Amino acid sequence: MDALGDRTRRQVFELLRAGPRSVGDLAAGLPVSRPAVSQHLRVLEHAGLVTHRRNGTKHLYEIDTSGVGALRDWVEGFWSEALARFKAAAETKGEPR
Amino acid sequence: MKDTLMIEAVRKTVTVDCSVEEAFRVFTADAVSWWPVESHSIHETVSEIVFEPEVGGEVYELSTAGDRGYWATVLEWDPPNRLVLAWNILRADVAPTEVEVRFLSDGKRTRVELEHRGWEALGDDGAAKRDDYDTGWDFVLGRFVADAE
Repeated sequence: MDALGDRTRRQVFELLRAGPRSVGDLAAGLPVSRPAVSQHLRVLEHAGLVTHRRNGTKHLYEIDTSGVGALRDWVEGFWSEALARFKAAAETKGEPR
Repeated sequence: MKDTLMIEAVRKTVTVDCSVEEAFRVFTADAVSWWPVESHSIHETVSEIVFEPEVGGEVYELSTAGDRGYWATVLEWDPPNRLVLAWNILRADVAPTEVEVRFLSDGKRTRVELEHRGWEALGDDGAAKRDDYDTGWDFVLGRFVADAE
């Protein structure tokens, strides 16, 4: 299983970086349905990246800060991708030698 | 007893076929040309990424609607050789990690060394984190690691 291998799940994760959100809040910011967001949250929660708590009648989802090891691995992969793209951009846009 | 959790810094090196000055310029002033915004941004669509070029400056994205999404704060700014960012990788109320990027001349090319460190400062309880990490925390994300190297 690859919790952050899906684009929408990455977007859900990115949105949660801004703070705790309900399923409805998340769905409002994404081009997918509430049930789809719930499904993505279940995957993220199962992976230990996201946790949830009850706030009145709402379930609020948030990034699980105990997940530092997994987060570090995720960031490592992110930088690999980003720097490969940076290299391509710098060599395309770089001044002619 | 103080927990001695240490999580190794993320270190990446890439060599690019351009000058140090140009590499620094593209990295900072033209980040929107390479940053994977389609998957790593706060807003759905990003039109610009801004590195305010001074210590204390902010790094932020601008959505196509003009909304600003804060990413990081500049801790050190030494163009075209080095920059250090304080990056709240989790949330604004959690300790930031640090990203240092060095641009080193390598003949006609530039070696870019990136270090993303400070993981041990995150979270509330180091011991609990360690347990989580050791009992299979990292099993899901393998595909994302090092695929560009």
